[in-house]
Amino acid sequence: MLILTRKLGETIHIGDDIKIVVLDIKGKNLRIGVEAPTHVSVYRGEIYQMIKDENMQAAATGKTLPDIWGLLKKGVTP
Amino acid sequence: MIVETMRFGAINIDEDKLITMRGPILGFERLHRYFLFHEEEKNPFGWFQAVDDASVAFVVLDPFIVQPDYEPEISDYDIDLLAIEKREDAVPLVITTLSSRPPMATVNLRAPILINIERRLGKQIVLEETHYAIRHDIAGSNIQRLPDATVLSDLAIKVPRS
Repeated sequence: MLILTRKLGETIHIGDDIKIVVLDIKGKNLRIGVEAPTHVSVYRGEIYQMIKDENMQAAATGKTLPDIWGLLKKGVTP
Repeated sequence: MIVETMRFGAINIDEDKLITMRGPILGFERLHRYFLFHEEEKNPFGWFQAVDDASVAFVVLDPFIVQPDYEPEISDYDIDLLAIEKREDAVPLVITTLSSRPPMATVNLRAPILINIERRLGKQIVLEETHYAIRHDIAGSNIQRLPDATVLSDLAIKVPRS
């Protein structure tokens, strides 16, 4: 991993069209601005990971299509 | 074409029914072609099956069943990416996760699969700055009745249980 030290207001450029800027530092909180082309998806790391994990678990569902009324009334048997 | 599936065996579908992903389901970046099917018209759940991996299939639901005022914000970029021309062509589906301990069924309202039903293009979009949950409990949704028809009625191929 490339590690860089930056001061408030300083930037990092990735390739030709991605720019990251340190906007604010308060204690342990950093505010970071990201400028990227619209085709580049920018996610908070933990959200990206949570959705990925959720998708992985969802893809492991067994053969039975759930009965929604069954789910509402008596819980689920995957 | 014949598509092999792990759960339902070989399924014969028309190629023009396939849905092409213009953005991935996160974690499944290598899979671009899916199709939707259901076994019984009255069941609001359907399957979103990957064409190129028999083992990958998601149980999907029309989100308006659990969240009648569901309104995911779609970026201009995604409107272009999915070639959406009319608002009603953009249909969100949500992925269902079943957990055994505790027994629970949830849907991911935070990251719906958005489908342009006219062009059959899709993408999992991630909603930022929203209160929609990744694990929205179906049982807690206070569903009074099921609609007669959902988006799946139009979109999905019927595959009878063998």
